[in-house]
Amino acid sequence: MSMKLVRQALRGERPPPRMWRAHELRERYDAVIIGGGAHGLCCAYYLAEEHGITDVAVLEKRYIGAGGSGRNTAIVRSNYLTPEGVRFYDASLKLYERMAGELDINVMLSQRGHLTLAHNDGSLRTMRRRAEVNRLQGVESRVIFPEEIERLCPHLDVSDHPRYPILGALYHPRGGIMRHDAVVWGYAHQADARGVHIHQLTEVTGIAVEGWRVTGVETNRGNIKTGTVLNATAGWCSTTAAMAGVKLPVTTSPLQACVSEPLKPFLDVVIVSGSLHVYVSQSDRGELVMGASVDPFPSYSSRGSLSFAESLAGHIVELMPALQHVRLMRQWAGLCDMTPDYSPIMGFTPVEGFYVDVGWGTYGFKASPISGKMLAECIATQRTPDLIAPFRLSRFSEFDLVGEKGAASVAN
Amino acid sequence: MLILNCPNCGERNVSEFRNGGEYRPRPACPREKDDLQWAEYVYLRSNVSGVQKEWWYHRAGCGLWFLAERHTKTNEITATYRWRPAAASSEEERKADG
Amino acid sequence: MAERLPPRTGEVIDREEELRFQFDGEDYLAFSGDTIASALAATGVRVFSRSFKYHRPRGLLCCAGHCPNCLVQVGEEPNVRACRRRVEAGMRVEPQNVTPTLKRDWLAPVMRALSPFMSVGFYYKTLYRPSWVWKLGEPLLRAATGLGKVSVPKIPSEGFDKQYLRGDVVVVGAGPAGMSATLSAAGQGASVLLLDENGQLGGHLRTTGDTQQRLPSLLEKVRAAGNIRVFTETTVTGWFDHSWLAAVRGHRLYKIRAGAVVLASGALERPLLFENNDLPGVMLGSAAQRLLRLHSVKPGQRAVVMTANDDGWEVAADLRAAGVEVVAMADERERAASSSARVDALSADVPVFWRHTVAAAHGGSAVQAATIVPLDGDGDTQAPRHRQDCDLLLVSVGWTPNTGLAYQAGVRFGFDEKRAELTARDMPENFAIAGRAAGTHLLEHELAEGALAGRSMAAAAGRGDAPAAAQWTQVQEEKAAEPARSAPWVSVAGAGKRFLCYCEDVTEKDLYTAVAEGYDSIELLKRYSTISMGPCQGKMCSMNAVHLCARANAASVDETGSTKSRPPLQPISLGALAGQNMEPVRVTPVHDWHLERGAKMMVAGLWLRPERYGDPAGEVRAVRERVGVIDVSTLGKYKLTGPSVPDILEKIYINRWRKLAVGRVRYGAMCNTEGIVMDDGVTARVGEQEWYMTTTSGGAGSVNEWMQWWMQSGWGEGVQLLNRTDDFAAVNLAGPQARALLQKLTGLQLGNDQFPYMHARSGAVAGVPCRLLRIGFTGELSYELHCPSSYGRHLWERLLAAGEQFGILPFGVEAQRVLRLEKGHLIIGQDTDALSNPIAAELSWAVKLDKEDFLGQRSLIRVTERGVRQRLVGFTVPGVSVAPEEGLQIVALGSNGKRPEIIGWVSSCRFSPTLNEVIGLCWLPSEIAETDGAEFNIWRDERPLAARVHHGAVYDPEGARLRS
Repeated sequence: MSMKLVRQALRGERPPPRMWRAHELRERYDAVIIGGGAHGLCCAYYLAEEHGITDVAVLEKRYIGAGGSGRNTAIVRSNYLTPEGVRFYDASLKLYERMAGELDINVMLSQRGHLTLAHNDGSLRTMRRRAEVNRLQGVESRVIFPEEIERLCPHLDVSDHPRYPILGALYHPRGGIMRHDAVVWGYAHQADARGVHIHQLTEVTGIAVEGWRVTGVETNRGNIKTGTVLNATAGWCSTTAAMAGVKLPVTTSPLQACVSEPLKPFLDVVIVSGSLHVYVSQSDRGELVMGASVDPFPSYSSRGSLSFAESLAGHIVELMPALQHVRLMRQWAGLCDMTPDYSPIMGFTPVEGFYVDVGWGTYGFKASPISGKMLAECIATQRTPDLIAPFRLSRFSEFDLVGEKGAASVAN
Repeated sequence: MLILNCPNCGERNVSEFRNGGEYRPRPACPREKDDLQWAEYVYLRSNVSGVQKEWWYHRAGCGLWFLAERHTKTNEITATYRWRPAAASSEEERKADG
Repeated sequence: MAERLPPRTGEVIDREEELRFQFDGEDYLAFSGDTIASALAATGVRVFSRSFKYHRPRGLLCCAGHCPNCLVQVGEEPNVRACRRRVEAGMRVEPQNVTPTLKRDWLAPVMRALSPFMSVGFYYKTLYRPSWVWKLGEPLLRAATGLGKVSVPKIPSEGFDKQYLRGDVVVVGAGPAGMSATLSAAGQGASVLLLDENGQLGGHLRTTGDTQQRLPSLLEKVRAAGNIRVFTETTVTGWFDHSWLAAVRGHRLYKIRAGAVVLASGALERPLLFENNDLPGVMLGSAAQRLLRLHSVKPGQRAVVMTANDDGWEVAADLRAAGVEVVAMADERERAASSSARVDALSADVPVFWRHTVAAAHGGSAVQAATIVPLDGDGDTQAPRHRQDCDLLLVSVGWTPNTGLAYQAGVRFGFDEKRAELTARDMPENFAIAGRAAGTHLLEHELAEGALAGRSMAAAAGRGDAPAAAQWTQVQEEKAAEPARSAPWVSVAGAGKRFLCYCEDVTEKDLYTAVAEGYDSIELLKRYSTISMGPCQGKMCSMNAVHLCARANAASVDETGSTKSRPPLQPISLGALAGQNMEPVRVTPVHDWHLERGAKMMVAGLWLRPERYGDPAGEVRAVRERVGVIDVSTLGKYKLTGPSVPDILEKIYINRWRKLAVGRVRYGAMCNTEGIVMDDGVTARVGEQEWYMTTTSGGAGSVNEWMQWWMQSGWGEGVQLLNRTDDFAAVNLAGPQARALLQKLTGLQLGNDQFPYMHARSGAVAGVPCRLLRIGFTGELSYELHCPSSYGRHLWERLLAAGEQFGILPFGVEAQRVLRLEKGHLIIGQDTDALSNPIAAELSWAVKLDKEDFLGQRSLIRVTERGVRQRLVGFTVPGVSVAPEEGLQIVALGSNGKRPEIIGWVSSCRFSPTLNEVIGLCWLPSEIAETDGAEFNIWRDERPLAARVHHGAVYDPEGARLRS
């Protein structure tokens, strides 16, 4: 029994401590972070914790974690295709592995194992390529075949009856799921404890730039003077960057997800099928958390569609016929900022003092801790850390893209 | 399910169509662009939150590529029409070219 | 069936037919028409399930399919709403979340003891220090979580399907307002679909008041109209863009395009928060009425009725009429809104507590008593407290309009503080709400509003005229004059557990704690406390949660807002959403022959192709030594005509086309704007203005769309592009004996002079009109024959018959891969990926940068300026017989203990039976790739494997055989 719960039980009617506080908006901050999701809050935390920069405001249009941080399907993994991708996401996973103790909140990291199914020889080849790259980077990952797949997940139909039979899978034991909201709350709590101001319901309406240098931020609650602004938004990264006069290689599309009614746990591993555009895991609440690839056309609308649910259900039932009676309970959408090379954009922009942590497509949650940490380092040291150098904005004008697009159309 | 008005076939479910992205006229003389300008054409996008002029292809129908004006927040489609050479000499083209 | 009443008018059960079923291991009897819940309630069952967190006993609460209390397992189907599912003979029903039995759940006392430590979000605050504790704790948490079960891993599909429907006006809900709307819309000439989740039309006309007299005439009119289609037991689960509705009935999903929608889905009765408000026996008043009127089941013997509107008095009257003793009435109001004989009669012999509320229910596994307390003007309670014994505590304190569908359609709601009701605004022009869903409760008003809504929506769908605005004004005024039906207070002060959310066992105290911790907006509150996240999706708790959140923040309900309504409105099975498996399969005209011959088929995009017929090495040898034939009907095939074909080809492909003579064939590769290789294939000029183009199988569709795009936006003048992929079958005949074989079947001159390599001809083969391309992907003398699809199998069989004397073998994709690898030919998509340009991919010989303009040119100019870091190059692995697997990495070995560094990867690799050597294609740093014979290391099984760069084809590098 944790002392926290004992104290809470004994406290009776007295109010519990607040996780974060509300503040008046100051006229100036050393740094302003736009976007109160896991990325922005994490960067604020590391600015304060590792670089002693505490005069920081995190501006959130709605409530913290309202965007992608609270809408993703909370899968974590590091079995990427490129060496630079594997290095980066594995550093992230390692931070996740010690996050609960560090942030003093149970983020319920559940490393249940992650299976990416292959239904044709082409994807089997890609799985092997990933497994090899992973292992050479020290990340456990291997290609397994139907017999072992069935052992890990007896509900999968590994026969040759399905339209797209399962030929093999990439197995990544350290992959898993966690509680995404807790990550947001943990960073918010620790950033707040270090003096960071978290401003909810604070919408940025403009970014002041003078001669290619950021000088401030305009919000619905007043203007802020600052020389450092980080765009850590998802879904609005292009519009936010446009306020500073920066154009991005980003297209925004909804990504839908859904959960089933709660069931007694039966699904131990995370199942992903790139060819069938589905992924499914079972949370600690017993719900199946399911998702697909991004919507077929770009949009800022987060309205769910029936065709998403139909095609998702079709593929899930084909993979696991026993789920035909399971009921879909709630569906939603989040916005994904897709880049041409399926990799994020981090670091400097042509505007001095204006940094980006954007273009997170469908993989933003997996990278929350490391991207926040790296952006904090970038802002504090004025140098691009090696780990994120491949993801710099200038790679596009240098025609030096990241090769992650080959991995799969469903990157979860 | 959105309904899209194909200039050939009329109103059809959006599932019959493929989206072709923002309308961005190709520079008439790509060779004359420097690397930065060319990268901008190839990679950068306006990605507006508002009315976007964009391409659609009637994949499960007549095979027409046409243009639509769609509000990217509400998905309201205010116009669909065929591409015409006239559009190529519009202000927009010159801007994209400049 | 102790609680079953004698036959009553309006009941929906058939007493002639008895059905036997099981619940919790015991046998029960039901009448046909009974729901699982009504049948069990009729025998006196009170406890239906154990709650999610505390394992508290739970009984019937809403009897309308909304709350989580009666969720049961039926066979392999989890989370079935017992109050909606009709009993079928032999049904096996099990209670859910019981450890181990419904009656004796040992987790219940454990959870009760632990509950002080299990406040809201407790799991965020424990089991993570030290980190290994979570490894033990999580399995415990998972063991306790969840409701129903998916126990059998493999079950056969139960035949789900889908149907499309269309209606000018779709009316959701067949109560009085819905039926009235239906009739008025139909009267305007609109086609109307009337959908209702119940088994019979009528809505609350069947369960409340003296209004059943109105029902027969409404039913008769609906039945008589020709343009009304009625769907009962059909639940609408969502509104999507452009009035696209989803509805489900059993195993069938309806997808409905509506011209306009009338939402007449009624209202949900609102629970009240008091101590132990979750005890079995505490029910909503409307739930008791459903049991009584539809199933003739007495919900209890001695009832306390708690109300804040006249509906509660109706409930009490119904109970008395059914022989239930009403032992007390508590009404939050000073007096009834309207005087009626029923109120008078009840007041005469039942103790009535005006301006009182219920503060607590008492009991173990079911309610045994209620505490009734006076209420002051601020919603606070005062002494004295009255304790009243009872076995039934009915709550009728207000209604929440069932408007999730309206929310999804874009309607927004404000909160009328005076009436404690939601009011709609921002109504789209083809959406209307009527009846209780619109806050209209008096029958005459409902009928009038329904009629107006029906007529308006018919007009919105283009049928008839819209009613005058004044008529709407009148309806609104009448509605505003109705007495308020919702109590302003959702809970009163008190001790003990007052459940806000039944699905997740969230109490009022939990909510206040969460707000105090900082989760103070309704969305944060929802995520932290999980209110409204369970099976009822907020139907029972959302409204109350917003009230409490507003109170905790000293804000108004409007400022607090509500959580969004997201589809589905009612949970819907994956099977129904999936329907039949409609995944298309593409097969070639020769497909059946392949199967008959026992080919092992493989998935290639949408196609099925023979991977092999027997031993692929034997198939390779047949091609190299004799002759083989492969079905290549999956290739993309296009006819291009017009004077400007060379212009478009010059733009699309990286190489030149203008000077290609009639009768010649040329290989071409194309790039996208980024300069990434997209596709390749051969194209023949078959006439002065006619060209025949082929693409890869995978690229067939996308190349067509790509070319059409450019052609339809300025480059299409003087060109016509026709996709003939499905019109033609194609086979490739390859091997030294190919000419001799083919000559048996055609009169065409096949000599090397008459029909040389990279030429095209047309003529009859085996009596079939064919286009012949002499090309050589396999590296042998070979002819690709394209003929109309309908002749494909005939041609194939004739080739094999004629080839028998030459020892012909059909060969599959696997043999073809070996053959092409021996020639060093790349496969786009296997040897290239999303970053591969043709210069790096060994295609620089084809890139003509000095052409005027082609797609990818500008990007490729940059590539040549900067040079390429990696190149695709051939290799051999001397001294091994097992080919390294494709996807293996090429490494630079690190010095002592350092991890090897990745410098490339193997994209293709096979053992060549022709050369008795392992060969392949790989990506290597340019400086290594440039040197023929350079050694490098493939990382296999955690060890380096030496390989050697090989420039050019390993087999017949001069290309003599394919020109022979």
